[in-house]
Amino acid sequence: MIKKFLKLFSNNVFLFTVISIFLGLFIGAIILLAAGFNPLQAYGVMLQGIFGKPKYLSYVIIRSTPLILTGLSIAFAFRTGLFNIGAEGQYIIGSTVAVVVGYFIHLPAILHIPLVIICALIASGFWGGITGFFKARFGVNEVISTIMLNWVALYLQNFLIYTPGFQKPGGEVSYAIQPTASITFLDKWKRSEEGIAWLLDHPFWRDLFKTPINWGFLIAIAVAVLVWFILKHTTLGYRLRAVGFNLYAAEYGGINVKKNMVISMTIAGALSGLAGALQVMGVSHQISLLAAMEGYGFDGIAVSLIGNSTPIGCVFSGLLFGGLKYGGPKMQPAMGAPSEIINIVIGIIVFFIAIPQVIRLILEFGKRKKAEKV
Amino acid sequence: MLHNIALILGTTLMYSTPLIYTALGGVISENSGVVNIGLEGMMVVGAFAGAAVGYFTGNPWIAFMAAGIAGGLFGLLHAIACVTFHADQIVSGIAINFLGPGISLFLSRILFDGATMTRSIDLNNKMPRILNSIFPNENILIEKGYEGTRLFFMNFMNLFLGNRYATVYMAFILVFIVWFVLYKTKLGLRIRAVGEHPKAADTLGVNVAKTRYLAVITSGVFSGFGGAAMSLAIVSNFRPTLISGHGFIALAAMIFGKWKPQGALLACLLFGSAQGLTVFLGQFDFNVSSSILSMLPYILTLVILISFVGKSVAPAADGIPYKK
Amino acid sequence: MLNKKVVVLLCIAVLVVAGCSQAKKEAAIKVAMVTDVGGVNDQSFNQSAWEGLQRAEKEIDIKASYLESTQDADYKPNMETLFDAGNELIWGIGFKMADVLSELATMNTEQKYAGIDCFFEAPTPNLVGVLFREQEPSYLVGYIAGKMTKTNKVGFVGGMDFFVIHKFHYGFLAGVKEGNPDCEVLVQYADSFTDAAKGKAIANQMYKNGADIIFHAAGGVGDGVIEAAKEQNKYAIGVDKDQNSLAPDNVITSAMKRVDNAIYNLTKTLVEGTFPGGTNVVYGLKEGGVGIAPTSYKHVSAEILEEVKGLEAKIIAGEIVPPTSSEEWEAMQ
Repeated sequence: MIKKFLKLFSNNVFLFTVISIFLGLFIGAIILLAAGFNPLQAYGVMLQGIFGKPKYLSYVIIRSTPLILTGLSIAFAFRTGLFNIGAEGQYIIGSTVAVVVGYFIHLPAILHIPLVIICALIASGFWGGITGFFKARFGVNEVISTIMLNWVALYLQNFLIYTPGFQKPGGEVSYAIQPTASITFLDKWKRSEEGIAWLLDHPFWRDLFKTPINWGFLIAIAVAVLVWFILKHTTLGYRLRAVGFNLYAAEYGGINVKKNMVISMTIAGALSGLAGALQVMGVSHQISLLAAMEGYGFDGIAVSLIGNSTPIGCVFSGLLFGGLKYGGPKMQPAMGAPSEIINIVIGIIVFFIAIPQVIRLILEFGKRKKAEKV
Repeated sequence: MLHNIALILGTTLMYSTPLIYTALGGVISENSGVVNIGLEGMMVVGAFAGAAVGYFTGNPWIAFMAAGIAGGLFGLLHAIACVTFHADQIVSGIAINFLGPGISLFLSRILFDGATMTRSIDLNNKMPRILNSIFPNENILIEKGYEGTRLFFMNFMNLFLGNRYATVYMAFILVFIVWFVLYKTKLGLRIRAVGEHPKAADTLGVNVAKTRYLAVITSGVFSGFGGAAMSLAIVSNFRPTLISGHGFIALAAMIFGKWKPQGALLACLLFGSAQGLTVFLGQFDFNVSSSILSMLPYILTLVILISFVGKSVAPAADGIPYKK
Repeated sequence: MLNKKVVVLLCIAVLVVAGCSQAKKEAAIKVAMVTDVGGVNDQSFNQSAWEGLQRAEKEIDIKASYLESTQDADYKPNMETLFDAGNELIWGIGFKMADVLSELATMNTEQKYAGIDCFFEAPTPNLVGVLFREQEPSYLVGYIAGKMTKTNKVGFVGGMDFFVIHKFHYGFLAGVKEGNPDCEVLVQYADSFTDAAKGKAIANQMYKNGADIIFHAAGGVGDGVIEAAKEQNKYAIGVDKDQNSLAPDNVITSAMKRVDNAIYNLTKTLVEGTFPGGTNVVYGLKEGGVGIAPTSYKHVSAEILEEVKGLEAKIIAGEIVPPTSSEEWEAMQ
């Protein structure tokens, strides 16, 4: 185990990512200092806000779950040589369908939960598949079609919310899904009288159950493993990677490139849709009128890139991203530091990840210095 | 009816101008072989720099230039990463999309007492509306004694071109300049050469790195202009939501236009006119949800892509770092 | 090897700092707010709310802070964060927070919560909903528009099509009708709160179709509306805050929603020990929670303002009840 960890650590990509993260935080600290804030205090507040309580960690995990999945979605498409900017729209489709199926259909939980997930997967897979189909059939670049489809999805959700019988009266939100479609841990119990009474005596659990902690994260991890398996150990994965690696060679080698494009985008769409569905089933339980994109898809691009487009990398970078996004804004109420710093830090981290060469140079410089000393 | 068409055309011009600048930025960068997905971030920076400098100096031209410089600095950053350090260009672009808004809002808070919205610029200190004196509005026309067909025509022109800022016309001129440079000059040949066959260009003595630097920085400058065309002409202040997705639409327009300046122009105009149509249709009391109507520009773009445009091929070396 | 050490050391350093950085709590009562996705500088109700808290910080002994949300899913965790920071009262800004607020209020019975634009069916004793009668100032600016239009046509640009904006919309319609029964009102929704260009295009179209005064309730879209008024030298009416500063020659008045006053007043009741827990508080003209902009005198004649004062009194007395929805508006016809 330790050996494996060390191996992972000596792996260049991992090391570079860690160094990028520190460089990002370091430059962020300089900016904070320049703006007149104590960076150590600021980062202290942030770390405290992430690790300070079980509840905080739980929120980080909740926040990370959709990002891991949209990250996986983008990473998956990347592996096939496609750039999926459409994770945002696919997420919206997934969450919308999850609420529709979760609210209108009444079934026992054991059937309801899988049904909601399957429907969301089909719908968002179809939504992603459109992009693949347009590309395969008409040669439409996936970047354009996904950007356009994001907006269509946004307006579609806003349109559906106003469907009579679906809109909750007195609010610009849909009805909540049936309790049988919820994947929040002990959702009903923790609101019941005995639940509240029990939790009052158990502060740790009370703290934890204040959050909508749910199965979503575990599902996301399982899916990450599944994606890793598909890419690494199946013929489908081999074909998809071949297409991504060299389109022409793949075609020459007898791989149906067009078909694989559609398959890749369908799976990518389904992954993002799953993010939306899990968010609905575990956290929000409903959808509301969207005035703007929420950014799950765009953040997912950064997650996938920080994770080097590998499934396992996406899990870690999703957690990192979730932590930064959850803990970062806490600087504001604690010390008045503007939360834009977090976006700057994330930007710098991603920037350094883009240029491993620089880090290599820095490391080599360090080595040389050491050599000189000796 | 004709006047409605004039208004739709006018809206088209207004809507597409920021997109044209930014899409041209994308064209230049990608023709040299560097993917620039950071257009959105560069636009935000330009919009902020334009609005802030415009407010403090009161001179729209200095402000416009400042927006270009600010965008250009982010272009430089992208170039350093992509050209010198062979970065993954998409990763670097995404980083810029985080850095641009982050830094703009941060500076705004420092310059404007903690506000992320800049103060509004006086109408006289905005970009000039150059054709307003030729095509004044209806009341002035009547005062001047215009009537009948002449009044009708002048009114048409007023709705179409009146209140259009210099940025609009400059965008069209810039399309021509970019087209001319790319296809009629040695420099353009070099840019396209390093985008298609960097190795061959290198053997022929073209400095690949220098050419790409130039192209990517220019791309930042144009995106900055695009942002300023929003904050100095369409409105007169910056706010965090002013640029919301425009950079990505410009990116789409560039690909739609097959990486050519004239194509990008047409794509931006198409998108702008679809928005104009949406606004036009929105005034009637249809039994259609406004959400459905708002989808129109996006669906129309897709339909046109499928039926008329089809396959578009990027420059061969687009997105691939060049290592000697 | 060296690098690894450096990384480990840095990790330790950061953790140590984190451990030591618990700030000393101050004696003053802490009050905090969670903004909606618009952020604290939205030039609209979030900003207004924050100004109210800042004023309270200056004038009464409290310590104010805020936390911004970037997604709807942030509301609950943000409230929890403020809960842990030991705030006496936590504000949620925006109707979307109603569900989260009532859930948390049930769970944390000792903690006081309040929500702007939130209505609670059965608020617990630690929860207050704050609503505004946006229709009342909208009615007044509608009356002004009706009186001041020279073309007998005015316009209304809405942001997104939902109930809060409907209160502005129908209140305005009724006011225009009161001021000028022959006046036509052009109405269009932008389906956005951000797309300034669309706001400008809609306003251009309305001005072209003969409107000479446009009222907007559309956030960032309104920037475009006011810009169009500036360019064409027409009139516009602002919303939420006094927007005259955006175009001093063109914004004749604004339908103000004094979120700041509401926040200030309620925070004060907290200090004084009269916090109205378990109720929904409604702020209308009567409570000073809404009104027309103080800069109105610059463009609106004293005579009209005098009439507006009369109408205000009638609304306060309940003689005039401006409509809030299309149903109420149609029932009036």
